[in-house]
Amino acid sequence: MTYLAAQVDPADRERLAERFRQIDGPMLRALTEASLTWLRTNQQLVNALNVFPVPDGDTGTNMTLTMQAALEEVAGSDETSVGRMAKAIAHGALMGARGNSGVILSQLWRGLARGLDDLATMDAPALAHALDAARETAYKGVVQPVEGTILTVAKDLARAALQVAATPEATNLDVLEAVVLAADESVERTPQLLPVLREAGVVDSGGKGLFFIWEGMLRTVYGLALNEPLLEVKPISQLQLEQTAEAIEPGQDWEVIVDFQPTAELDIPSFYRQLGEMGTSIQVGEGDGLYRMHIHVLDRTEFRPVEYVRTLGTITNVRIENLMLQVPGTSGAPSKSPLRLASPSPSQIAVVVVSPGEGLSRVFGSLGAAGVIDGGQTMNPSTQQILQAVEQAPTDKVIVLPNNKNIVLSARQAIELTAKKLAVVPSHTGPQGIAAMLALDPDGDLASVAAAMESCMQSVRTVEVTLATRTAKVDGVQVTAGQAIGLLDDTLVAAGDDLGEVLQATFEKAGAERAELATLYYGAAIPLPEVNRLAERLVSRWPGLQVEIHEGGQPHYPIIASVE
Amino acid sequence: MASSLSHPAGRITISEKAVATIAAQAALRSYGVVGMASRTLAGGIVQALARDPRHGVEVSQRSGQLQIDLYVVVEYGTRVTSVSASVARTVRYQVERTLGMPIGDVNVHVQDLHISFTE
Repeated sequence: MTYLAAQVDPADRERLAERFRQIDGPMLRALTEASLTWLRTNQQLVNALNVFPVPDGDTGTNMTLTMQAALEEVAGSDETSVGRMAKAIAHGALMGARGNSGVILSQLWRGLARGLDDLATMDAPALAHALDAARETAYKGVVQPVEGTILTVAKDLARAALQVAATPEATNLDVLEAVVLAADESVERTPQLLPVLREAGVVDSGGKGLFFIWEGMLRTVYGLALNEPLLEVKPISQLQLEQTAEAIEPGQDWEVIVDFQPTAELDIPSFYRQLGEMGTSIQVGEGDGLYRMHIHVLDRTEFRPVEYVRTLGTITNVRIENLMLQVPGTSGAPSKSPLRLASPSPSQIAVVVVSPGEGLSRVFGSLGAAGVIDGGQTMNPSTQQILQAVEQAPTDKVIVLPNNKNIVLSARQAIELTAKKLAVVPSHTGPQGIAAMLALDPDGDLASVAAAMESCMQSVRTVEVTLATRTAKVDGVQVTAGQAIGLLDDTLVAAGDDLGEVLQATFEKAGAERAELATLYYGAAIPLPEVNRLAERLVSRWPGLQVEIHEGGQPHYPIIASVE
Repeated sequence: MASSLSHPAGRITISEKAVATIAAQAALRSYGVVGMASRTLAGGIVQALARDPRHGVEVSQRSGQLQIDLYVVVEYGTRVTSVSASVARTVRYQVERTLGMPIGDVNVHVQDLHISFTE
């Protein structure tokens, strides 16, 4: 145990080992709370370890939400027994398990609780035994376990725990230290076991999440802070700068992004410390000597980070955005144009759409959508959110357009859960959804309208351009982190350093030569003049093509386009 | 014959059996799925732990697209909706990735739960 233990005085460690010699129910809950906090702090880092090179953050969020559900179950509980506390936590994790990693995490908790039986308190051998039971239970949940995943990490840390606990006088702290070290090493080995990780150049995200869960416990025992993320500088393309409205907390009034070239080498810890005094959600990226800094600050302090960065080097670009405008019900400057939704009469069909950006929402609204659910590539709405929107729709006949491949299933699940007549038109992209809207006949029969919309949806091809978050080979195309990549109907078909060239190559594959109309929906992060330039290039390449430009407002994707 | 793609070198056809094998292998690697079950044999549920490589998978054509129906046994004590969602996602991803073309619906039918531990 090197890097963490080094921060603790040996005499203090002795005292802490004694204090945690026996762990009871409330102590377990406190440790688990630390796990959740530490996981949440590092959530984006876990999300970024995705094997598909499109921003699609999931694992960190899923594990965090699962742990959150687990702890909500025991909030205010006066249970003193460690075994029964673990059982209650496991029950909460089961009920709130989100995604694959969440299910495995809930199984680990279930096994841990099973291993502890109904013990009043646990010592080192009991903890090690429980960790081994967690491993056993987790492995029972799958016929052909894939190694190099969270399962492997759970196995390796259990083995380390048993080894340490077998030594005389071993304490819970000894076990915890061994577990964190073993988990860390195991996570680093995952790419050797799983080729898909090696190809993508990452470690396993679920395993990393499990590591943070145990490291959070150890950090809190040592009395180390849980709210400061690891100081790191990522490649600029990996910064996750887009926040959804729900994720913005009080005190995050403005988002400030500054690009700069430092005059001297940047002292990262001091840089983070200074920024930490100004605001939250700090991220720092670097590429080719150019740094990008991202921070959320309070109202009226939005120029402070800019002034500070000015002292460090040459500023090349500044973006300041009022986040209060994104939160419904808060007042800021007036919004560009309000979202207008259709209000169908009770006998008509209402359409509810999932939309990744404000601009696209407005397009859907103008075509007759009655409800909008915010969501998209990185924030898939849950079945519950979709159900809620369906219930809120003013009529009893509802059609949902998921507009993303990963949301179709959640939308379909809502069919079983509502008393309303619900149909899902499985649109995989925004443009497909927009094409489907053109076939909407609010007075028609639900099933035949849905069928007509579905067949209309297939008349467009969708082109999306985004930036690769890492180096990988996907669909036979070699991609380098930071490069622009072009997707045609969800399949990667082009990659390159120049966004315009990638867009053209993708249009080429989409059959732009025979197409008549292309509609570009531009994202939140791309300036309009650049979009105009891209459109001009398309028109000069294919003079027969008519190109329309609309604001899409979506995160991550500079351009989403339909070709028809 | 399940699917055919035109290709400069000719036509490629992929049988339903081939698709079912890919789907079954993906399902069995998916967390929470502890077996495949079929609806055959006089309506009874027969559980098979990976003996027949295609057991518990039905592949059919619907409106020009492949539909996959998976009949699975899920580990008791897991959240069935989350497990089902992730097996559907995994199977779709693996099949589409292997075939190189989009497929239609992937339906998951949870036929039984398997109890490893009694609490």
